[in-house]
Amino acid sequence: MNFLQKMGNIFAEYYDWLLQGVGYTMLVALVGTIVGLLLGILIGTYRTIPNPQNKFLRALKKTGDWILTAYVEVFRGTPMMVQAMVIFWGYALVNDGNTMDVIVAGLIIVSINTGAYMAEIVRGGIISIDKGQFEGAYAIGMTHSQTMWQVVIPQSLRNILPSVSNEFVINIKDTSVLNVIGFTELFFQAKTIVTMTADTFATYLAVAIIYFVLTFTITRILRFVERKMDGKKNYTMQGAGNLDADAYAKTQAIGGGNNV
Amino acid sequence: MCKQILQFCHLGKTFGDHQVLRDINFTVNKGDVTCIIGSSGSGKSTLLRCANLLETPTSGEIIFDGKNILTEKSHSKYRQKVGMVFQSFNLFNNMNVLQNCTVGLTSVLKIKKQEAEKIALRYLESVGMSAYVNARPHQLSGGQKQRVAIARALAMQPEVLLFDEPTSALDPEMVGEVLTVMKDLAKSGLTMLVVTHEMAFARDVANKVVFMDEGVIVEEGTPEEIFQNPKEPRTREFLSRTING
Repeated sequence: MNFLQKMGNIFAEYYDWLLQGVGYTMLVALVGTIVGLLLGILIGTYRTIPNPQNKFLRALKKTGDWILTAYVEVFRGTPMMVQAMVIFWGYALVNDGNTMDVIVAGLIIVSINTGAYMAEIVRGGIISIDKGQFEGAYAIGMTHSQTMWQVVIPQSLRNILPSVSNEFVINIKDTSVLNVIGFTELFFQAKTIVTMTADTFATYLAVAIIYFVLTFTITRILRFVERKMDGKKNYTMQGAGNLDADAYAKTQAIGGGNNV
Repeated sequence: MCKQILQFCHLGKTFGDHQVLRDINFTVNKGDVTCIIGSSGSGKSTLLRCANLLETPTSGEIIFDGKNILTEKSHSKYRQKVGMVFQSFNLFNNMNVLQNCTVGLTSVLKIKKQEAEKIALRYLESVGMSAYVNARPHQLSGGQKQRVAIARALAMQPEVLLFDEPTSALDPEMVGEVLTVMKDLAKSGLTMLVVTHEMAFARDVANKVVFMDEGVIVEEGTPEEIFQNPKEPRTREFLSRTING
């Protein structure tokens, strides 16, 4: 029971450090997930644009496709820790040794790394939408982008929300690799605390508990958002005075409205 | 009064090596209710999908209001005037009934939301679905969905409405309610081009029937001509199988 006491001491003594770590971890995870999702949506929308008739535009689209594929493959195919080092020190190299602000660097790295994964998640979400949804939209004169933003993306977002939550949780944990560029997130703080307390086990156990509380809370919140997005199970009938509707409703095999 | 509104000239469509449509020529006049009949795989749905540019014809012309729409850059303008009702309804699953009918008005025609809702309600009422404005598509029966889909197309106030086997995905009980709505529309003078397996509908409501087989128009004429005195043996064969079978 000694180590429990030690853990309590660590919480009591270093709570402001830990809180700062939690703050930065959550900041970078949240911003990274949101910016990554936006990147993913843009890339997903771009990739589903029908091939233009015009030769030049088609070549342009092809080039864009190729660049995006390269981006996705490179950032999915290398560890984020390595990406962090390459981007951080690469920036310093071309700027005469001046390094980027660590916070900014962290946000950029996590965002573009998440974007590569999100691009694939969003693409999966878009191709899971029935072709009829596109055709229904085209048939009333919607353009491709109107179709995407009004009809397809909202439905895809609902479908991919579980994967997005997953990415968010992964980001909360994986931002720990940013300690290599000196980003003061939770893991970095833990390392610093260990140098002072010399109690490795208790410190990291405390940090593990904090990570778990964070991820567990986030998954619960996102589950709640999912349920909200599904909307109400029931609907209310409007304007009972519509005789036509009533007449029709009576001929229905499946009645609507009162299935509470 | 016989103003032609939509004309297909030497229309052809191939999928790879497979020629689905061959040299299709026919004209739709304003106020016409044209039914396209024929067995599955005869190309009638492809023809209708070409008419809305959901498929791009590989040869020929589609003339609408005197212009060949295949050479136009944007399909959006044309599709606003030529609506379509699908076999599988294709209602937007992320919207309720009212939003399904207003989204085209607000985002495509740039009509204010309030005005759009008024228009949408008027058409929802005409198909007997105005009580269901808050319902989501998955909460409706097939017949209800199809009536909402018709209201959605009508709300755009199209000059021509295309129907692609609108009752084929419905339970027998629900076919009637959709056909009733379509009959009312035909009476109101709407120009309709209907691909259907409902021979009784074609016989009673259409003023022109087109019979297709293997990608060509075999015969066209008034319902009396086609159903009572078919000239071509292929038409006779098809009709004897569908009507007596």
